[in-house]
Amino acid sequence: MRKTITLEVNGASETAEVEVGTTLLRLLRDGLDLTGTKEGCNEGECGSCMVLLDGRPVNACLVLAVEADGARVTTVEGLSRDGLLHPLQRAFLAHAAVQCGFCTPGMIVSAVALLRDDPDPSEDAVRRALSGNLCRCTGYRQIVDAVRAAAAALRAGEGAPEPPRRAETRPTALPVREEVPA
Amino acid sequence: MPSDLDYRSPSTVDHALALMSEAPGGAFLLGGTDLLPQMRTGRRAPSVLVDLKRIAELREIRETADGGLSIGAAVPLADVETHPLVRARYALLAECVSTVGAWPLRQRATLAGNICNASPAADTAVALLAFDAVVGAVSSEGRRTLPMSRFFTGPGRTALRPGELVTDVVLPATSRGFAGSYLRLSRRKGMDLATVGVLVGRSDGELPPRYRIALAAVAPTPIRAVAAEELLEARGPKAAAEAAELAMDACAPITDLRGSAEYRREMVGVLVRRGVAMLERKARP
Amino acid sequence: MSAPRAVGREVERVDGVEKVTGAARYTADLKFPRLLHVAVVRSPHPHARVLGVRTERAARAAGVRAVASGRDFPLHTGIYLKDQTVFATDRVRFVGDPVAAVAAETPEEAAAGAALVEVDYEPLRPIFDVEEGIADGAPLVHPDLGRYEVVPWIQPKAGTNVCNHLKIRKGDYEGALRRSSRVFENVFRVPQVQHVPLEPHVSVARVDLAGKVEVHTSAQSPFTVRHLLCACFGLSHGDVRVHVPYVGGGFGGKAGINLEPIAVALAKRCPGRWVRVMVDRHEEFFATVVRQGLTATLVTGVDRHGKVQAQKMHYLWNCGAYGGYGVNIVRAAGYTCGGAYEFPNVWGDSIGVYTNRPVGSAYRGFGMQEIHWALEQQMDFVACELGIDPVEFRLLNALGAGKATVTGQVLDEDAGRVDLCIRKVAAEVGMDPARQRRPYSGKGIACAVKAPAMPNDAASSVVMKFAEDATLEVLISGIDYGQGLMTVAAQFAAEALDVPVETVRVRGCPDTDLSPYDWQTVASRQTWATGNAILRAAEEIRRQLLATAAEALGVPPGELALARGTVAHAASGRSIPLARLVMGYQFPDGHAIGGPVSASASYLPEGLLFLDPETSQSAKPVAKWTFGAQAVEVSVDRETGQVTVEKVSACYDVGHVINPGLIRGQTYGGIVQGLGTGTMEELIVDTTTGRAVNASLMDYKIPSFEDVPAVLTAEFVETPQRDGPMGARGIGEHTMIPTPAAIANALFDACGVRIHDLPITAEKVWRALREKERGERERAGAAGVPAAAPAASGAIA
Repeated sequence: MRKTITLEVNGASETAEVEVGTTLLRLLRDGLDLTGTKEGCNEGECGSCMVLLDGRPVNACLVLAVEADGARVTTVEGLSRDGLLHPLQRAFLAHAAVQCGFCTPGMIVSAVALLRDDPDPSEDAVRRALSGNLCRCTGYRQIVDAVRAAAAALRAGEGAPEPPRRAETRPTALPVREEVPA
Repeated sequence: MPSDLDYRSPSTVDHALALMSEAPGGAFLLGGTDLLPQMRTGRRAPSVLVDLKRIAELREIRETADGGLSIGAAVPLADVETHPLVRARYALLAECVSTVGAWPLRQRATLAGNICNASPAADTAVALLAFDAVVGAVSSEGRRTLPMSRFFTGPGRTALRPGELVTDVVLPATSRGFAGSYLRLSRRKGMDLATVGVLVGRSDGELPPRYRIALAAVAPTPIRAVAAEELLEARGPKAAAEAAELAMDACAPITDLRGSAEYRREMVGVLVRRGVAMLERKARP
Repeated sequence: MSAPRAVGREVERVDGVEKVTGAARYTADLKFPRLLHVAVVRSPHPHARVLGVRTERAARAAGVRAVASGRDFPLHTGIYLKDQTVFATDRVRFVGDPVAAVAAETPEEAAAGAALVEVDYEPLRPIFDVEEGIADGAPLVHPDLGRYEVVPWIQPKAGTNVCNHLKIRKGDYEGALRRSSRVFENVFRVPQVQHVPLEPHVSVARVDLAGKVEVHTSAQSPFTVRHLLCACFGLSHGDVRVHVPYVGGGFGGKAGINLEPIAVALAKRCPGRWVRVMVDRHEEFFATVVRQGLTATLVTGVDRHGKVQAQKMHYLWNCGAYGGYGVNIVRAAGYTCGGAYEFPNVWGDSIGVYTNRPVGSAYRGFGMQEIHWALEQQMDFVACELGIDPVEFRLLNALGAGKATVTGQVLDEDAGRVDLCIRKVAAEVGMDPARQRRPYSGKGIACAVKAPAMPNDAASSVVMKFAEDATLEVLISGIDYGQGLMTVAAQFAAEALDVPVETVRVRGCPDTDLSPYDWQTVASRQTWATGNAILRAAEEIRRQLLATAAEALGVPPGELALARGTVAHAASGRSIPLARLVMGYQFPDGHAIGGPVSASASYLPEGLLFLDPETSQSAKPVAKWTFGAQAVEVSVDRETGQVTVEKVSACYDVGHVINPGLIRGQTYGGIVQGLGTGTMEELIVDTTTGRAVNASLMDYKIPSFEDVPAVLTAEFVETPQRDGPMGARGIGEHTMIPTPAAIANALFDACGVRIHDLPITAEKVWRALREKERGERERAGAAGVPAAAPAASGAIA
């Protein structure tokens, strides 16, 4: 059976007609082309599909789209703005906390929720809060470091999204002055 | 999932019951963390999902007139474990809740959903059993209450009638202030079903104290080890080893992927002894 | 060349911004118009004859656009041994073996269609264990083994279940064994485990109306996928195009070929339509590939000084239903059977056995973690029996320059220093024999070694070119599925041409029509092989730039220097920025010289020689070795058997650290993956039904955040590899090899019990401790004295 729902996704209002059995994950990926949210298991075990639903971190594979009618959804695509990175995204890069990248969006979304509730999490608190996000590549060590570093940056007031490094460096990367032969 | 599956989200209990009576093949939907995977694998195939999360009265945690605490069926576990009254009065429940799944799962999963799923390994059920919680239920035939001790009837089975929904779980005032621990073995430290779960609790500030021992994943349903509790109440912590034996006698574990029946039974003994010892350490720091 | 600018620095991942923003597209993220969805009909039997497959009803079902099944696709494929068809034809060999597949407009319609495919089976007796598989009269999993096409260096035994057998015969084993002062024998076992990449396998294919096949797939090796697709469909390489976008982890499970043939088979049935085959997490566990199981029997003879003189290794590999890839693991395990040690007299047999289990294939380490589980425990066992410190015993027997491996290869000075790795990790966790001991707390060590296991002619090539603004583009076909190849490639290119790494763009999602050839991304070979190719291409780029600049400036090329994005003539102080050179140089009068600067280059390992077919002796069987060691500290809960790994320290001789952040990530990641196979992972197959019973992430646990040891350390020795790019050698796989054995050795140190069968679960430890305590009580009772130190088992001296 199909239902029409309206929800706010990354700040924009979206209306969609969905089958009742369609998960929020399917709607985001197939309907809205927000493929940063990944499907890793479809059983709520891996955390690759983590999104914020009315501010709460949830596995989008365990939420029906119809349940999200009227809700506010934030996906990884909603964290960077105008090409500027969220401090957590910045920290994941700086701490080499990304490998294959498949778990990374869900990991960062969970960490956003953690840092909102606990601005100065201990190492154990990070591990507990993110234990629903599996990673097979990194061994988690650098992710813990990245989350705590981002927490410190946010506490120090560096909350504003930052530009990716490439954009910063590209204009100045090559000499502009040319000395032509006589 | 079938294309004729319907979804309704009533805002009152009465409407929810009416919807269910119109569609006997329906299922009530709370967090969906058990139901949706079961539907995906074909274990359950409801014709309509009646979502209870938009019913205001089911979303409350409130004190009852006699000083107990009512936890609405649609309250997410995350809100239970962080609720100040739960933490202050029923800290062991908060501890048990915090072992269910991971933090994001607990944003959706509910206490009522956890017990309605009736897993032998339900971590929340041990606390509810230990605290003599009472399940509030309603159906077209009216409201009733079921004591936790009679709620489970087997693995995946409860005493609820078809079409009956859980409104809340009530923790009685008499169960406030139990100290203790929920000791749990699992294959992996984070987010895993319990291989064995043992709650050992003791009432604070009473002489003689009341003891509570409840076990997960070692019988067809979560259970209380009443004989072990009575022994401790009669003879105190020095009887821990004998109480552990009684708790082992109370369980009837199976062998599965997570552990053998023999290991589980032995671990019940180990964890009961530890739980009692930890009470002593907490009492005399 | 000036001081390092890009290599050796903690350069951020060049694919990082795409990955943290969600911009990076993986195969399942790609959008295709009117995509068809697939359901695969899989065998419910572990072993059965296929009497008939009827697809007519399925073909008529709503939404179904194509049905494909066995006999229509009779050609065999397999990377080394061609033993597998797209769908089972006359026989199914494991639960999950594809029999047919249905493509339909929706996933639901595909599933409904698949349910209408009727298959008649005649069940046959299945075999699950290797011992059963090699027994006389065992049912044959592949009765046609003798007719399969195979590369010359793999030796299947027709009429048996043996898909490969490699023999090592070095020195005089029997004589040395007789002369040994003590002899020890032990058996160790490793179960099948699964890779569990976070991204499950997925492949999309279309056959266009002109007959060209196009595939997008989550794979480690686009060119090998193309090559093998051509084999199983009889196609020309010119008519098959394979794209690999970002890949969400592989660990060997996406090497070779996987779902691609099923996608192409269906695509051929509905030309013009895109067809996507995607396994769910459940199927991923048993219907893709797994790591092979192993039963290892080891015999060690030592002389009076504790030097191993005679060493026997008998490896029986559980290859599962197909061995196309696994046969080479059998081979690699054979020629590496002595691990990091010098054994003068060796008798080794590495035997691959077909069974009716899920298909064994490559998994990070390619057999090495499995054989090190056995060998590194055996070394510990022998040291303990001899009363020698395990660290000293390892140093006494370790390989090194001038010493000979089991194939008789004498190692060069540049081979790497396992001795230094052993000393460093032992110091890091404090393995001093005189250390203070705490009850139920222990320390253990294990070494690791691995060489790239690949055909001798496995090559990598690259193309380098410039965009108009002097952005340097590096085209590679090695896949960066997390290990950091794109970043390392950018570093090598930036370093070699002295341009800022930020101006390099690595085109790392290959398209076989446009990208340079690369054999496969496996074997920890990419930094080394692609790195070498990049350095070669950079030399050609430099030559072209200098030639044009020399003409522009009217000076000899030899007087010019390429530095910081500029070609400069020091004597005259004149210079030209690259942006004025890369598309050709134009003089003030308007005439132009040069042209778009680009280069291609390749790298092929040099001087490799086949193994002798009877003894496997060879002076240079592999391109390089990477040695290392890990030491761990554990605590054991005596009553529950739970083992907590408190600390893991790793050290590898990597030749040259290219990127410290990435190599730490490889090391920590490998350790934790090793912790998984060491303590919790096992794909359990019910031997009555043949079904994998824990095929979900709820039932098959991999390590989570909370399982990671409190302390992880990574150190590196840098003995430059002569033929490595800037001295570098491979490291990706090595990091997970020694972890389980090191944990087992620490467990023994902690409480005197040894677990022979992976994984080391709490219940196994609890049983072993109970057994040991019972034994001690009995002995104490018999002798009337208190129980003594832990007793060892298995000594036959």
